[in-house]
Amino acid sequence: MNNRFLFPHRFKMIGWIMLIPSAIAGLLSLLFDYNLFSLNTTVFAVFEDAFFEQRKMFTLTQNDIFDELVGALLVIGGMMAAFSKERHEDEYIAQIRLESLLWATYINYGFLLFSILFIYGLGFYQIMVLNMFTLLFIFLVRFNFILYKTSRAIA
Amino acid sequence: MKNSLKVERAVHNLTQEELAKRIGVSRQTINAMEANKYVPSTVLALKLARVFSKPVEEIFSLDEGD
Repeated sequence: MNNRFLFPHRFKMIGWIMLIPSAIAGLLSLLFDYNLFSLNTTVFAVFEDAFFEQRKMFTLTQNDIFDELVGALLVIGGMMAAFSKERHEDEYIAQIRLESLLWATYINYGFLLFSILFIYGLGFYQIMVLNMFTLLFIFLVRFNFILYKTSRAIA
Repeated sequence: MKNSLKVERAVHNLTQEELAKRIGVSRQTINAMEANKYVPSTVLALKLARVFSKPVEEIFSLDEGD
C-alpha cells in the first residue's frame, strides 16, 4: 500500500525534536507572556501595517523574530511528526491516519465554532493563535493513541 | 466479517510479530484484524491465505451484518 504523500520514516523523530521544545516555548509565550529570548532583526515583509502608519508592501522592517521562529518550528516539526511514514506504513495505518485527520478536523472546527460564539475580546485572539496548531495537535494525539492501543494487546 | 486468523496463527505457531513480518505489515494490522476491528484489503487477504496455504474463504467468512 503506497502512500505517496508522506515523508520518509526518519523525519518523524526530527519532527518531534523540533515540535516539543517549540510547543513549550510557544505556550510559555502565549499564556505567560514569557519569551525565552528576543532577537531583533531586519526582516523582509511582503505586507506590513500598524496603527497610525501607512500600509507598506515589499519592504524591510524591524521585528523580534522569536515568535516567527517558534511558529515556523511548530508548523514544520508538527507536519513532520504527523505525516512521516511509520516503520511499517501499511493499509491499516493509512486508515487510522485518515480517520484521525477527520476526527481532528471535526474537533478543531467544533472548538473554533464554540470560540467564535462564546469567547470575546483578547481571549479570542489568543484562541485564534492556539487554533493555528490544534488541528495537527489533535491529529497527533488521536493517531498515536490508536497506534499505541492496537500495539499493546496480547501477542 | 469474521476470520480465523488467531486460530490459524496458533496452528502455524506464529506470533503476531512473525506473521506481520511474513506478509509485510505492521503488528497493529494483525492485531486489529484479529480483534475484528479491521477488514483487510483483497491483497492482504490473499497474502494471509498464502502463508496459511488455505483458500481465502476458509480464513475469512461473512457475518450476519454483512
